[in-house]
Amino acid sequence: MKEQLEEIRRRAMAELSDDASEAQIDAVRVRVLGRSGELTEIMRGMREVPNAERPAIGQLINQIKREVEARIEALTEKLKAASLTKSLNEKRLDVTLPGMRIARGHIHPITDILEQMLAIFESMGFEVAMTQDIEDDFHNFAALNFQPHHPARDMQDTFYVDGGMLLRTHTSNGQIRVMEKRRPPLAVVCPGRCYRRDDLSVRASPMFTQIEGFMVDKRGRITMAHLKGVLTEFVRAFFGTTAVRFRSSYFPFTEPSAELDMHCLLCDGAGCPVCKHSGWTEVLGCGMIHPNVMRAVEYNPDEFQGFAFGMGVERTGLLKLRVDDMRLFFENDLRFLNQFPALSGGVR
Amino acid sequence: MKLPLSWMRDFVSVDAPVEEISRRLSFAGLVVEHVEKLTPGFAGVFAARVLNVEKHPNADRLNLVEVDAGEKGKFKVVCGAPNVKAGMTAPLALVGAQLGKEPPLQAAVIRGVQSEGMLCSERELGLSQDHAGILALGADAPLGGAVAAYLHLDDVVLDVEITPNRGDCLSILGLAREVAALFGGRLRAPRLRAAPSGDAHDGAGFAVAVSIDAPDLCPRYAALAMTGIKLGPSPAWLKRRLELCGMRALNNVVDATNYVMLELGQPLHAFDYAKIAGGKIVVRRAGETREFVTLDNLTRTLDPNDLLIADPDKPLAIAGVMGGLNSEVSDATTTILLESAYFEPMTVARTSRRLGLRSEASYRFERGIDRAGQVGALIRAAELIRKIARGREASPIADFEPRKAEPREIALDLGAMESLLGASIPPTVARSRLKSLGAQVSTRGKGILAVVPPSFRSDLVEQADLIEEVARLGGLEDIPARLPERLSALAPVNREREFITGTREVMLGCGLTEAATIAFIAPADNARFSGIQIAARPVKVTNPLSAELSELRVSLMPGLVTSLRFNLNREARSFHAFEMGKVFRMDGDIATEHNHLASVSYGPYAISAIGDQSIAAGFFTMKGILETWFDAIGISSHISFKAIEPADAPFLHPGRSAIVSLDDTQVGLIGELHPAEAMRLDLNEPCAVFELDLSSLISYGFSPRKTFEPPPKFPTIRRDLALVLDRNFPADMVVKTIRDCGASLLESVEVFDVYEGTAVAAGKKSVALACRYRAKDRTLTDEEVNRIHAVLIEQARMRLGAELRQ
Ligand SMILES: [Zn+2]
Repeated sequence: MKEQLEEIRRRAMAELSDDASEAQIDAVRVRVLGRSGELTEIMRGMREVPNAERPAIGQLINQIKREVEARIEALTEKLKAASLTKSLNEKRLDVTLPGMRIARGHIHPITDILEQMLAIFESMGFEVAMTQDIEDDFHNFAALNFQPHHPARDMQDTFYVDGGMLLRTHTSNGQIRVMEKRRPPLAVVCPGRCYRRDDLSVRASPMFTQIEGFMVDKRGRITMAHLKGVLTEFVRAFFGTTAVRFRSSYFPFTEPSAELDMHCLLCDGAGCPVCKHSGWTEVLGCGMIHPNVMRAVEYNPDEFQGFAFGMGVERTGLLKLRVDDMRLFFENDLRFLNQFPALSGGVR
Repeated sequence: MKLPLSWMRDFVSVDAPVEEISRRLSFAGLVVEHVEKLTPGFAGVFAARVLNVEKHPNADRLNLVEVDAGEKGKFKVVCGAPNVKAGMTAPLALVGAQLGKEPPLQAAVIRGVQSEGMLCSERELGLSQDHAGILALGADAPLGGAVAAYLHLDDVVLDVEITPNRGDCLSILGLAREVAALFGGRLRAPRLRAAPSGDAHDGAGFAVAVSIDAPDLCPRYAALAMTGIKLGPSPAWLKRRLELCGMRALNNVVDATNYVMLELGQPLHAFDYAKIAGGKIVVRRAGETREFVTLDNLTRTLDPNDLLIADPDKPLAIAGVMGGLNSEVSDATTTILLESAYFEPMTVARTSRRLGLRSEASYRFERGIDRAGQVGALIRAAELIRKIARGREASPIADFEPRKAEPREIALDLGAMESLLGASIPPTVARSRLKSLGAQVSTRGKGILAVVPPSFRSDLVEQADLIEEVARLGGLEDIPARLPERLSALAPVNREREFITGTREVMLGCGLTEAATIAFIAPADNARFSGIQIAARPVKVTNPLSAELSELRVSLMPGLVTSLRFNLNREARSFHAFEMGKVFRMDGDIATEHNHLASVSYGPYAISAIGDQSIAAGFFTMKGILETWFDAIGISSHISFKAIEPADAPFLHPGRSAIVSLDDTQVGLIGELHPAEAMRLDLNEPCAVFELDLSSLISYGFSPRKTFEPPPKFPTIRRDLALVLDRNFPADMVVKTIRDCGASLLESVEVFDVYEGTAVAAGKKSVALACRYRAKDRTLTDEEVNRIHAVLIEQARMRLGAELRQ
């Protein structure tokens, strides 16, 4: 009987070879382990086995049963894995096809430029204040030392609206609005839209964006040297050049007044058609706040002093982005806008 | 202001090259916009005096002329010009001379007589088309000297931009003074002395009387009569200087007044003396005088406050703006009255602006001329007119100054200067810079200078003005660049900016591209897209660029829709954009501004993978964006959407649009464009839009940052519920009603399906809801939840009048 069992084991194991098919494995299972399989048959014939041998035979049967079962399970696992691998390989994606998405929007270049500027000034300790577009004569002109009928007013062609108001021609009204409400020390930048009577063209727009900044403190604490320091640092951070120069100029609301030029970004100072061969481009206007402006907001000009500056965001954008047409900023041509990042400025 | 360097050199000698002159001027605030280098069109032409004229032996129309060209020698030339006569000085082209593009001049035999050169007309020298005769040079032309140099044909002209505060630089002398100050050169101001009174002027006695009735507008008026005038063309050199400065030559008298204006900055006016009743000038306000004919023969309407120059009978000129036709100098004029006055800048500015009349004179008066320059300019003009128009002074200079200039002395505290500039400038340097500008400087105390600005610098009023002058002349490069110490206190958080920036982030993340449009729009667009406030009255621009841009937008929608169309016309398949910007409307009679957020979404929104269905923009994609945003800013629970009535927004689809409210206040609109509007825009897919008033959201004062609540420790149990309701009954009302039933332990109610179809009655729908129950302190049992839910179902059914769907 023992030999018989050994024969069953040998034959089963031989048939359960590494490359046995599912059918072969099944056949072995039925023949050896089935309800009327070989092992069951032998169990039935146990009565004829002498008592003394029975435990040994029983053990052997169980052992063979476990071995065959384990072998069948191992082979079945292997077959399953193989068939899974096969089916997965059959359903491969073309990973180069486009993904499904909600496209992220693109930030407008004016915002992008503006946010980069604000981030620089904020990191230098300036706060941001928003002020109004519809203004009165006092805050847009008179308080900024534009005398009535003075030719300086011609420098900015103004839009007037119903109700006796005007559209601010610059963000300098922000200086007055903030100083009226608060006392120094102040370090503030005021971004916003401004309006002047220019037709929309390659060079100009009736609506544009400016950023006004100012710093005021007790006399001697904020000097023209600080004006130069802050703005030089701004140009370095924003444009990446330290080649700047300050020229005397005139604005009614600052004195001394200056204009800041930097090396032309295209030719790096060598001279090219864009900078009219001067090697320089104008960046912004600035100066020490005029005593009459201080008086207009009821600061004593003998006690307080400070600087102010203002720059056009589109103009600066034209320089930095090398955009050659102002109209692009307001047409919202996706072929233009999509070239700008989908992350807000200041982050980079 | 055009600055011919040859003219400038009458007053200052500077060796520096042109480039350096223009660079320094530019750095000192007088920007040189353009440098024009002129070259004469000829060479080898010299000034020669005609000694003798005799008839050509063989030709009636030709003369034989003997000329003296100084050290070049004497020459005999043949000349056909009718105006040649002995004593005149004319340009002589010698053999070898280059005239324009012609070959060099050769010796010629004309009708048998040798000609050693040629006397030239303006045309032959390329100066003009004038070929009527030879060019008459002034008697001051040096014989044998190059005519090109004498006529300043090899000049350099700087075009200098003069800022409005520098009226004093609207003259050659003023710019020469700047150049002298910048280069440390000495200014040779013209010495102007009146001819000794009594003997110089004509005994015939042309009375000049002046009465100033408006000394507040005209503090000084000087006048002079000149007689014996012979009106005619000016000499070439003078014409040339006027032309270099951009002025046209007219006649010798007018040219002389313009010349003096350019040179000294004082506008002058010449009247025909014969037209002035009694030789009496009255300076007065227009008052009752309503109309006046200016010399361009246009009738001007006057304002009672306009300043007039009149005689006792009639007005003669609008002061500082334009003369009158009735007293204009003409060929018949033999006696003139020259006016040299100071008019207040404001009065000239106001009148010239109102009349739209800008002249070289008004331009200068507006910016402030030399307060003390009137008599000097008259003397200079008289000298010229004597020379070029044969005039003689016919009266002493009448000089009336009812209001004297207030003496101005400004204290300059050198310590204050250092603390403003952040740089120290030695007192001696400051003093010499101020002196070079014509100021009188003395020491008043330790570190204090007493400065009396010159009469022509009306812009120097207080200490800061002087500090600017000192800094400017030294160049701002002398001031160091330093960073300020940090301000002591941190800036307060700018909630508005935080909100705007955060909103932008959400919109970008939701796939909307940021747009910017212009605030000026056509009235028709404001009427079509009335925005959030249906009855909003637009703000009109008083002086618009065009009718199409004559109102301020009440809504951001027109701009965005225009941008959509712009892109579709350029092959775009979709357009998903937002704008944050200001809109405007009248609030009573006050123009107000409001921050808005608006969006337009058209075409595929969620782009599927190949083979799947893409999701097109529509009401629900748009609403999803808003919901995402409301979540992000933490106000979702205060927001509700309510179907619009067609009158709320005629441009929206009446069945696919909603009013957005914050608590009970309407803050915006959302929906698809009305099919009629879509058709007008030639859109063939739904176009979803929204617009919200950010101002009211910002001022709402919510805070997205709340305090912490621990995550729940026990699970929820869900029970569903389906109610059959009228088709138009809003789902959020169902949810709200169920919540209001106040079932204990009910944590959330959510619609998960809406069914319309054969399984429910016509006009009805079934709304399926998921109710989730949770206790904070234990795991709920099924029995407990079933009990609560059964009560809830019963209450909801009753309150909503709904049937339960099994
Ligand atoms: Zn360049």
